[in-house]
Amino acid sequence: MPDTEPMIDLRNVTKRFGAFTAVDDITLQIQAGEFLTLLGPSGCGKTTLLRMLSGFETPDVGSIHIAGEEVTHLAPYRRNVNQVFQSYALFPHLSVRENIGFGLRMQKVSDVESRRRVAEVIDLVALGGFEDRMPHQLSGGQRQRVALARAIVPRPAVLLLDEPLSALDAKLRHQMQIELKRLQKHLGMTFVFVTHDQEEALTMSDRIAVFNQGRLEQLGTATDIYHQPRTAFVADFIGEANLLEAELLSRDGATGLIRLDGGLEVRVPLSAWPLDEPRAILSVRPEKVCISSAPVEGAQNSFEATITEEIFQGAIDHLVVRTDAGTVFNAVVANESAMMQAFHEGDRVWCGLHYDDVVIVRASPKPAGVAKP
Amino acid sequence: MQTLPGVNPENPHARRPGLAGWLLLAPMIVWLLLFVVAPMAILLVYSFCSRDDLGRVVFSFTWSNYARVFDPIYLQVLGRSVLYAAITTAICLAAGFPAGWFIARQRAAVRNRLLLLVMIPFWTSFLIRTYAWITILKSEGLLNATLLAARAIPAPLEMLYTPAAVMVGLVYAYLPFMILPVYGSAEKLDNALVDAAHDLGAGPVRAFSEVIIPLTWPGITAGVLLVFVPAIGMFAITDLMGGAKVAMIGNVIQNQFTKARNWPFGAALGIVFTLLFVLTYLALQWRGRRART
Amino acid sequence: MKLIRTLLTLGLVAFSASGAFAAKKPGELKLFAWSEYVPQAVLDGFTAETGIKVSYETYASGEEMLAKLLSGGTRYDLIQPPDYVAEALIKDGLLVPIDQTKLKNFGNLMPEYLHMPHDPEQKFTVPYMVGTVGIVVNTEKVTEPILGYRDMFSAKYKNRIVALDDGRELAVTALYVLGKDLNDFSPANLAAVRPILAEWFPRIKLFDSDSPKTALLNGDVDLGLVWGGEAATLWNENKKFHYVLPAEGAHLFVDLLAIPKRARNVENAHLFIDYILRPEVSKLISDEFPYTNPNGPARKLLSAEQLANPASYPTTTRKLDTFRHIGDVGAAIDALITDLKNTK
Repeated sequence: MPDTEPMIDLRNVTKRFGAFTAVDDITLQIQAGEFLTLLGPSGCGKTTLLRMLSGFETPDVGSIHIAGEEVTHLAPYRRNVNQVFQSYALFPHLSVRENIGFGLRMQKVSDVESRRRVAEVIDLVALGGFEDRMPHQLSGGQRQRVALARAIVPRPAVLLLDEPLSALDAKLRHQMQIELKRLQKHLGMTFVFVTHDQEEALTMSDRIAVFNQGRLEQLGTATDIYHQPRTAFVADFIGEANLLEAELLSRDGATGLIRLDGGLEVRVPLSAWPLDEPRAILSVRPEKVCISSAPVEGAQNSFEATITEEIFQGAIDHLVVRTDAGTVFNAVVANESAMMQAFHEGDRVWCGLHYDDVVIVRASPKPAGVAKP
Repeated sequence: MQTLPGVNPENPHARRPGLAGWLLLAPMIVWLLLFVVAPMAILLVYSFCSRDDLGRVVFSFTWSNYARVFDPIYLQVLGRSVLYAAITTAICLAAGFPAGWFIARQRAAVRNRLLLLVMIPFWTSFLIRTYAWITILKSEGLLNATLLAARAIPAPLEMLYTPAAVMVGLVYAYLPFMILPVYGSAEKLDNALVDAAHDLGAGPVRAFSEVIIPLTWPGITAGVLLVFVPAIGMFAITDLMGGAKVAMIGNVIQNQFTKARNWPFGAALGIVFTLLFVLTYLALQWRGRRART
Repeated sequence: MKLIRTLLTLGLVAFSASGAFAAKKPGELKLFAWSEYVPQAVLDGFTAETGIKVSYETYASGEEMLAKLLSGGTRYDLIQPPDYVAEALIKDGLLVPIDQTKLKNFGNLMPEYLHMPHDPEQKFTVPYMVGTVGIVVNTEKVTEPILGYRDMFSAKYKNRIVALDDGRELAVTALYVLGKDLNDFSPANLAAVRPILAEWFPRIKLFDSDSPKTALLNGDVDLGLVWGGEAATLWNENKKFHYVLPAEGAHLFVDLLAIPKRARNVENAHLFIDYILRPEVSKLISDEFPYTNPNGPARKLLSAEQLANPASYPTTTRKLDTFRHIGDVGAAIDALITDLKNTK
């Protein structure tokens, strides 16, 4: 969406708490109608960034525009954004109906109009029949819906969601993920969703912004982020990865020969190799490590290895293999059929790596011990 | 009073106290019987008696003490006591609510230190603290000396033995009783609720009236009761800092049991006074229930 | 020399204590008296000599004493009522006659303080200390002469006056101004008193019976209607505080020692009274509480300065009046004062 004006435009936003830099020079555009997820471990700055969007925090440096209007220093109650709080923050002294209607009452929307819109939203989040309940009489999932309904009924330009599903059990969480995504499409509203759960991020987002230590590590679609991680941190945080230190031995056009941790030498494309750096990190997803009883056809690298560990996980088998050169890989193979040949501890196998499946990434600083939520 | 999760009054699991419960309650019940119920019963009996010329209680039934309570003199005294207590309560609320709220919003370490500051005055006797105020406010006192030295005033101000001095004394004495319950309520209030109100378009005033007030209502109610009720009956401050010039209902009752030696009349005043407290309490309860629905 | 005397005293104490113990247990004495009126030295001296333990309970007004005595909580052995309260107690037969044969120091009392109207036969009471109620003037602030109540309560001293917080004392000032008998609280007199007090009350800065001297010392007021003893203390503090017996009339109060009917230790009470009547003991009381001492030989032990204190020993040729028991008119006075403070 290159030509449209972004719904949210963050420029060089920095926020410090004392000596701790929570958000470090973030520049980010979010498009109208987009479902963007801020993903990262706790203390990475994603929640602080969200609070700057809602207005509860003010950046020390940089500017924030929402829907073309600068809101950097605007009070939360003057912004056309609403938030779904992690704890839901339902008003305990108000009924479901009053909670949902709160925003409209603050906007001085007429009673008739307000009643109609509240009824509409209650319908949308399937809370019919619970209008007169008090928050403490609701289940966790119902409270979640009330919080959602309360935040969307004023029709904000942007809906901010701060880990809204973290308090739900796994099954309910999956269900709500799908519902949320459907609702977002239905409303066409811009959603900014904060989570530390990479699976949740992959399921729901149009784009994901991965944060680490206050910095934006990578911005991209779920497939981009998964298949083309740019840093070791992203590769490691999203899905699983074999991350191996690599040393460049020789160049040969677009490819080069590298030596991995443990001593295995493989040939890889060098497009992502950092210039003037003798060392980098190689990332391979476990499912991309081909395991076969014969040399792997079509794979540019193929080498012999021994299975040192096998963990049966139902649909898949998790294997740890050690190449004869001494390099260790995690691999995953599908249990396609009980009849098919399975691999077991101690088996001699062939491992194959395709050029397309190995990614050279930059080293990332490890997450710091001091974390600010 | 609003109901929080877990303290549902209609909780079907709430049980009537068993034997163990009654045993645990026993000291409390005995205490209440000995020091609340029995004295009130004696007071009630006395209030219908009369006195002989030495002031001894004579057991003969009469309504005259109650008739005298409604003499305009005493109604006026009561009215003034209520007014002073109401002003005291209003000032304590205006000063104590922000203080309690502020303390509740601090980090735990800072919070405990601030709470300690609120409670330090209780380490000293109430009378000594009142005399300290006299030392500050008197004509040749600390405040006048400071103001004179700073050339802020041409001559000493007459501060002691005025209604303002009584107000200062009352507010000083009762402010902690407002701060602490408000703190208790405010501390329990999740900051996210205030954020949510702002987020949904409520400015500071609306957030305060729509969310903060209703959710700290139990603390406000408790604070108002803890300040208003004793402030009505207070007599030491009006005597010491007000120069005993304006009679408060507390002074009048005290007089009946000492100087005037009219115990039956004092008892009748006491009974009416107690009824007034009960009514105040019920009114606040009613307001609380209405706020919830 | 001093050492020998100390040893002698100790021996004497030990002897008398053991002697008393041999006869019967020295026991105790429950004294119920005004706060700030019996020096600790006197109590300690009595206990040291007799072995009798004194428990000292206090009150702040004659009425409070009466209330507690009549409620019958504690069985006091010796009480210290003001004259008019004693009169009521005698009338109701609530006191034990005092056996003067047991009081070898009784003769020390000056005759003008005996056979007074509250106890004409001198059967039930023994005078403890005597005082007057008068006017203290801070002569540094008030330069015009203050001769009586009218001068003191004049409009020009508005907010410069402290008065006793005592309905009867206040009402009496108005009775004097009207030239009426100070014990006549007939409805007509009460009605006549009202407008005078109504005029004066707004000019009074504070009412205080417990320690009216404080406001004078603090400079909050310049004139005071106070107990003579308070005035004497002020004079000792600073000679600028003059004491005036009001021209319209002033009254004398006598604080007495008496034994209530329900006393358990009548014998000990007699011992204590006799001890108090010793000149050197009585002097100790005067040293600490500068009221008028009714004990002739004790007065001779006082310093010239003590005797020259005009508040302790006012010079007047006029006969001073005393309060009489006025029955339940007290309630009417209380209502009047409450009302006046109210409508001010």
